[in-house]
Amino acid sequence: MSQTPPQTPPRPLSPHLQVWRWHITMFSSIMHRVTGSASVAGAILVAAWLVALAVGREHYTCFLTLASSPLGLLVWFGLSLAGFVHLTGGLRHLIWDTGAGFEPKKADQIALWTMILGVILTLAFWAVLFTTGKVTL
Amino acid sequence: MTTDRNVGAKSVKSWKQSAHHGAGEWLAERGTSLVLIPLTLWAAYAAFTVAGGGFDAAVAFARVPLNAGLIGLTMLISVWHMYMGIKVIIDDYLQGGLRGFTLFLNILLSAALLIATGYALFVLHQGA
Repeated sequence: MSQTPPQTPPRPLSPHLQVWRWHITMFSSIMHRVTGSASVAGAILVAAWLVALAVGREHYTCFLTLASSPLGLLVWFGLSLAGFVHLTGGLRHLIWDTGAGFEPKKADQIALWTMILGVILTLAFWAVLFTTGKVTL
Repeated sequence: MTTDRNVGAKSVKSWKQSAHHGAGEWLAERGTSLVLIPLTLWAAYAAFTVAGGGFDAAVAFARVPLNAGLIGLTMLISVWHMYMGIKVIIDDYLQGGLRGFTLFLNILLSAALLIATGYALFVLHQGA
């Protein structure tokens, strides 16, 4: 006799990282989740920046001391890398949404080039910050 | 005890629900992605403008109405996009009580970020 279970049956889980054979579209797909999750930390820090600014000069100076320290700059660099790679990875998904780019060869190329573009944007952003003297080590 | 036990009345209901909500979520994911392209590039430009300028420059920047509006819009759309993204990851990898707890934390984090942003922009506007 079959009975309605008292609670919702367990939802199926997605396959985890270890079941995939390594290929670039798998890597970029995982990186899209990793960079997206890292960007959450970025959003928290931007909100912290804004609150420090609103609270006043003393707190903001304290925030800046941390944010402009070598470790702080490394964190901002990582977050900007995550943000830019997530941005270009998102472009890949939007291209797919139009129905284009699903042929294996093309999908591989788009995965590779969107990741490279994300890295280039990040390096260009920091090159500008350093060459204009806005950021110094 | 047959395989039927996996088909509860509640899950049938939730499938029917998701059939109606799915298109809206799909559109919201794409819509926020599209809007975030220019907003993210503006945020990079804003970070460049504010970097190295100290307190006074940053306050002056955040008090320009257009900048304040774009900061608020960028945070609002980002938090919306983030909320949906985290939810997808939770739904994929977590089950049971842990799923419910992390979904709750997701709501809490989103609310905290929006309240913090709104509060800061309000205070900065008041001081202008």
